[in-house]
Amino acid sequence: MTETVAVHPVDPFDAHALNAAEGLDSVDPAFSHVLRITTLFNMLPIAIGATVLDVMVVREVGGPYGLLTVLAWLLGVIAVVTFPARRAQRWGFKIGEGQLRVARGWLFRTDTIVPFVRVQHIDVGQGPVERWFGLSHLVVHTSGTHNSTVTLPGLHADLAAAMRETIRRHIQTDFA
Amino acid sequence: MTDGAAALPSDTAPESVEWQRLHPATLALAIVKLGPRTVNFLPALAAIGIAGKWIYVLPALGAFLLISLVVAWFAWLRFRFLVGSDEIVIESGVFSRQHRTIPFDRIQDVGIEQGLIARALGIAKVGFETGAGGDKKDEARLDAIGLDAAQALRTTIRAHRGDTVPAAATPTSGEDADEATASPATEDRLLFAMSPRRLLIAGLFNFSLAALAVVGAGMQLFDNLLPFDFNIFNPVDWFDLAERYGLEQWIVAHRWVAGVGALLSLLFIGFASGVLMMVLANWGFRLTREPRALRRTRGLTTRTDVALPVRRVQAAILVTGWLRKRFDWHELRLQSLARDGEKEKDHQVVPFGHLSEIDPVLGEIAIRRPDAAQPWEHSHRVIAAGGLFGALCAAAGGTIAMLLGQPLGGIGIAAGALIAAVTLFSARFHSWTDLPEMVAIRRGWLKPKTTLLPHASVQSVDLKSDFILRPLGLATLVFGVPGGSALGSHEIPAIPLATAQALRTRILAARSRA
Repeated sequence: MTETVAVHPVDPFDAHALNAAEGLDSVDPAFSHVLRITTLFNMLPIAIGATVLDVMVVREVGGPYGLLTVLAWLLGVIAVVTFPARRAQRWGFKIGEGQLRVARGWLFRTDTIVPFVRVQHIDVGQGPVERWFGLSHLVVHTSGTHNSTVTLPGLHADLAAAMRETIRRHIQTDFA
Repeated sequence: MTDGAAALPSDTAPESVEWQRLHPATLALAIVKLGPRTVNFLPALAAIGIAGKWIYVLPALGAFLLISLVVAWFAWLRFRFLVGSDEIVIESGVFSRQHRTIPFDRIQDVGIEQGLIARALGIAKVGFETGAGGDKKDEARLDAIGLDAAQALRTTIRAHRGDTVPAAATPTSGEDADEATASPATEDRLLFAMSPRRLLIAGLFNFSLAALAVVGAGMQLFDNLLPFDFNIFNPVDWFDLAERYGLEQWIVAHRWVAGVGALLSLLFIGFASGVLMMVLANWGFRLTREPRALRRTRGLTTRTDVALPVRRVQAAILVTGWLRKRFDWHELRLQSLARDGEKEKDHQVVPFGHLSEIDPVLGEIAIRRPDAAQPWEHSHRVIAAGGLFGALCAAAGGTIAMLLGQPLGGIGIAAGALIAAVTLFSARFHSWTDLPEMVAIRRGWLKPKTTLLPHASVQSVDLKSDFILRPLGLATLVFGVPGGSALGSHEIPAIPLATAQALRTRILAARSRA
């Protein structure tokens, strides 16, 4: 886009440097809590399962009892405490000039642009965890097979609704 | 948007407003379909048989068939459709009713398909392509109505879609699938046809070892059932054959003859199956230009008649092979909003032709092939990294296996080396070029593919980078294009970041195609 590439290498551990360098807005900070709770719900069963396995199997066969439990819970805690904040910061978006831009990820970064005129229809969704923090996610559908849906999470509910209205005004029935 | 629930027969045009049913012969099709389904019933039959009550087997089977037929009949009775002045309404379902309204405006294409039995009965399956990016299972279809009714329905819908061109309505009266040849159509120009000779050549290039595997497996399976006890893949059988004719002494002296015999029959089956598949699929292939669409009829047993609206074409893909390229043989596929039948995602419009024959077809859809002078830019060779990693894994696995005393690990090392060589070699064949109105992407060495993608077809653009590409200042562009292609997504891998950003801006600036 019009933004020039940063001359200095971007510090990957700086919260906003990445998005600022690419001219993107960051998502709502509360999104990191959403990610954290989702991760918690994912990791808890795995950690419990590992503990059960440890007690039921490893102890019976005389293996290194306790190792699996400690490892599983440690990894779980790390996954819940550290990564969600960083993952949330890696999401960026920009709305304007007749197009929506969504960027995500760092190790594998994808920067998607969807012109408003190419949008078929729009969803604004809200999961139970998102509702606690007053957040929504915006889903844009295009007719392309690749990228048939582009999702942008971590938007304040009002902002998501406003963005939907902005995009909707641009959708023309291009089919004839 | 038309509300799906509120379409009463009273508000539509007065002329042809009446509910219609599917062709009664559809019931005959239902009986045919029952055949394979009877298999589901076998466990029950077996249970009855094991219980020792053989006397109930026949009545049970009869009851099952009767119930199935009654269900099919009810489904037929409860399925009705109505062709209004600007929409088609379909009501279906025995217990849960479904009411669906499809405005003609939303119908991209009407496909007519006839299987072998359907042709004998003179009926055809009609499918409506509505173009949404979703699944095929949601498509509306009439299975099945009379062939003449199907053609009349398509004419009605097409006439509506292009109401400014009344000449579009070709006078359809014939029942033959080759009706296009009979009608005095001045509008319909023949663009491409496959002569039997061309089919033969194409089939020879279609040499298929896949079919060979199937035949081989079949031979193994039915070895004992064949009237002749002879497996052509087995050199021992060739020895036996020679022995029978008293050639034993000679054969033992010339063992290679048996090998040559097996090889020759292998080659013969490969070529024969290639020709057979080509003939089955493309017999009587005709591509004609209608006022707004390209129309393709083809097939020997299953004859299909597909119309591809020109404005719906999103991209063109030229496929060839390393050998057929030498002889200037190419295949042209068009990616469109509508899909081609059940399996194929893109439309094969020229199965086998010279570039000089393909160019006029491309001209019809306003796509120009880049000429020889066009400079092509190459992707960075780092795209081989993925394949090299795979090769490394294979080699490492092989080495470990060998260290553990398993001599077969050598295969892993050899495979790793082979994969690495092929990856490195084919990485040189990724290239792209930017033309004024479109971007062209070339890839592949064994099967070179050239994608011609008009800027206006691009719905979204991804700019991807990862921990390998970023330090090299590279990025990959992936394009979202309507209508899938069997040949994968459209992407330009590993080009300089600044180039990628500039190209993205240029493509997104294009106006929508239509």
